[in-house]
Amino acid sequence: MPGHRTKGFCASAAALVLCAMVAGCGGSGESVGSGKVVLRYTWWGNPDRAERTEKAVALFEKQHPNVQVQTSFSAYDAYKQKLATQAAGGDAPDVMQLDYRQIDQYASGDVLLDLARQKAVLRTGEIDAGLLATGRLDGTQYAIPQGRGTETVAYDVKAWKESGVPLPGGSWTWSEWADAMRALTEKTGKPGATDPGQSEDCFEVWLRGQGKSLYTKDGGLGFTAGDLTRWWTFTDGLRREGVVSPAEQTTQLDGSVENTPLGRGEAISDSNWDAPASGFLALIPSGVALAPMPSGEDGTPGQYFKPSMFLGVGASTAHPKEAAQLVDFLINDEKAAQILGATRGIPVNESIRKAIEPQLKDFDRTIADYQALLEGSLKDPPQAPPSGDNALQTTFQRDYDQVSYERMSPSEAAENYVTEAKAELRS
Amino acid sequence: MTTTDISAPAAGKARATPVPKRRPRREAQGPAWVFLSPWVLGALVLTLLPMAVSLYLSFTDYDLFNPPRWVGLRNYVQMFTEDPRYWRSVVTTLTYVVIAVPLQLALALGVALALKSMKRGKGFYRSAFYAPSLLGASMSIALVWRAIFNDGGTVDNLLGTGGWVNKPGWALLAVALLTVWQFGAPMVIFLAGLQQIPGELYEAAAVDGAGTWRQFLSVTVPMLSPVLFFNLVLQTIQAFQVFTPAFAIGAGKGGPADSTLVYTLYLYDRGFVASHMGYASAMAWVLLIVIGAVTAVLFRTSRSWVFYASEGDR
Repeated sequence: MPGHRTKGFCASAAALVLCAMVAGCGGSGESVGSGKVVLRYTWWGNPDRAERTEKAVALFEKQHPNVQVQTSFSAYDAYKQKLATQAAGGDAPDVMQLDYRQIDQYASGDVLLDLARQKAVLRTGEIDAGLLATGRLDGTQYAIPQGRGTETVAYDVKAWKESGVPLPGGSWTWSEWADAMRALTEKTGKPGATDPGQSEDCFEVWLRGQGKSLYTKDGGLGFTAGDLTRWWTFTDGLRREGVVSPAEQTTQLDGSVENTPLGRGEAISDSNWDAPASGFLALIPSGVALAPMPSGEDGTPGQYFKPSMFLGVGASTAHPKEAAQLVDFLINDEKAAQILGATRGIPVNESIRKAIEPQLKDFDRTIADYQALLEGSLKDPPQAPPSGDNALQTTFQRDYDQVSYERMSPSEAAENYVTEAKAELRS
Repeated sequence: MTTTDISAPAAGKARATPVPKRRPRREAQGPAWVFLSPWVLGALVLTLLPMAVSLYLSFTDYDLFNPPRWVGLRNYVQMFTEDPRYWRSVVTTLTYVVIAVPLQLALALGVALALKSMKRGKGFYRSAFYAPSLLGASMSIALVWRAIFNDGGTVDNLLGTGGWVNKPGWALLAVALLTVWQFGAPMVIFLAGLQQIPGELYEAAAVDGAGTWRQFLSVTVPMLSPVLFFNLVLQTIQAFQVFTPAFAIGAGKGGPADSTLVYTLYLYDRGFVASHMGYASAMAWVLLIVIGAVTAVLFRTSRSWVFYASEGDR
């Protein structure tokens, strides 16, 4: 028996185990000396937003030498899952970025602090009352809107111009949009757009363009399987023509601009929210422009201004005052606003917005101009979606996967979705 | 027995104060419990208690944020009768088990056989083949794997197959291959088993005119069957619980088109994405029962094919 060999083997195996252990135990240095208050601040976004956020946070730390802020961010899908896990474990971050779709669930689950109690350090006087109310549930202010956003068709300007297809104007209907995408595909050989069929947001715009809505006032489903079948038949038809991205690319969408067909240079346009569209610049240096979302055939606009995202404070935070100070800084500090620009949407604080708007540069300017173009023409935002919607967003994308991979017909998938949605909203 | 040995002299010395007979026993048990306590506590607090809670939760509707609400068997009924995605995850998992386990065991056995007859560099190769088992369970390797099998990745460039991870028919195979690649643990066990087979058996077989293949079938396989059985049971149990590779390759959603939506991934989805912890707990208990049943079936069939050398002596 090879005894001497075994020793060598053991040594190398032990070395490997050690490597694995060292690799596993790295990171997470929570310890902090000098008795500083440590705040955890988490958010979702892209590298562009990360860079600006880090700068703003550094300024906050300079102004508050007793506070240290640990930030972390990820793409939207991953963030959503991680935050839910942390919140459930009673380990919610001190300050967290929240989506319209999360407010209801998080607030009703006692994850969020009542921010009215921190009035002394967190000023809300200069925020539009209607906008501020979107962060309220049953009269309690659980979150503060951080910016105003709306959906947009972001497109590669250079590629579109070169194709010779007329650039999009101030408004278009869904059929005009589809025709433009067809023309683009024909001229450039690339799909004109990301397949919008996977996006619950795009579906909502389409639905509102027909005077309907995703949810009824009492939190039920606002549309029928027939509506969804028509939407998916429309988008699936475009996919079969090759006018929108193929299933292999659509399935990879996870809320980050990097994984969109436009971001990978495999399509000419993408439907997205206006603020994250700034992330496209790093991927398409030749420039990105914004066009409005298509409207209903009679011109009814489907898109709306919504609070782009919120800031909330964890109910279990050990430092409610400092956490509220950070929220106040991010929303009401002019220097912070200058650094952050429009990366989370146009600022909500009225005087800050007025002070900032003329100074906005580059893509922030583009977003401001885009929103100015829509000002006054859009309808009121819907109320915050019921808590079941958080899961349904993913279900929507999954069910459309079945359509785009041709495993189900649009009507089968729509029936599936409606059945699940009804169960989800009931519970 | 040892208790009396130790306590006898002690009782003898302490004659002045009469000691009740049972006390020394306690003294001797005390340290034992002290030393055992971490494990006993661990078993109670970290294993039994969570299991009990999860069993309770499986009969409730619990969204992680609000207190659990008792719903009786509703989760189980919904799972079996109203949830097509649940059944899809069951089929996906079974397909995965049937692909991954035999492939992995065959590879482990093949490499073990090759290494057994190897003269030089055995230690190096054993470590080299074992390395993936240490690394492979990590998320980073799974992500690298995803990149390799992605659209425009290495495999696409070499074979021109397009991205496997984006094809519903192929993605599960990419997940299975990641597991198969981590064949180190069963390989080491096979190797140990192979070295236990007495050389005389092969010599005798050779004298009787058996070729390599015949020797393998008539000597190696029966002599190795207990080890084979052990590996089969262990790897099957593990395969039922596959999560990391499916999570990474299916981009956390079991995509494309639910083709990598294995059971534990759907369980995670129900629990942490959709916030139905009660439903997820019910799924976990069904998984436990199914794994138990499959293991029992494997044990039952083992009677007809697993050969223990000691049986011949009896």
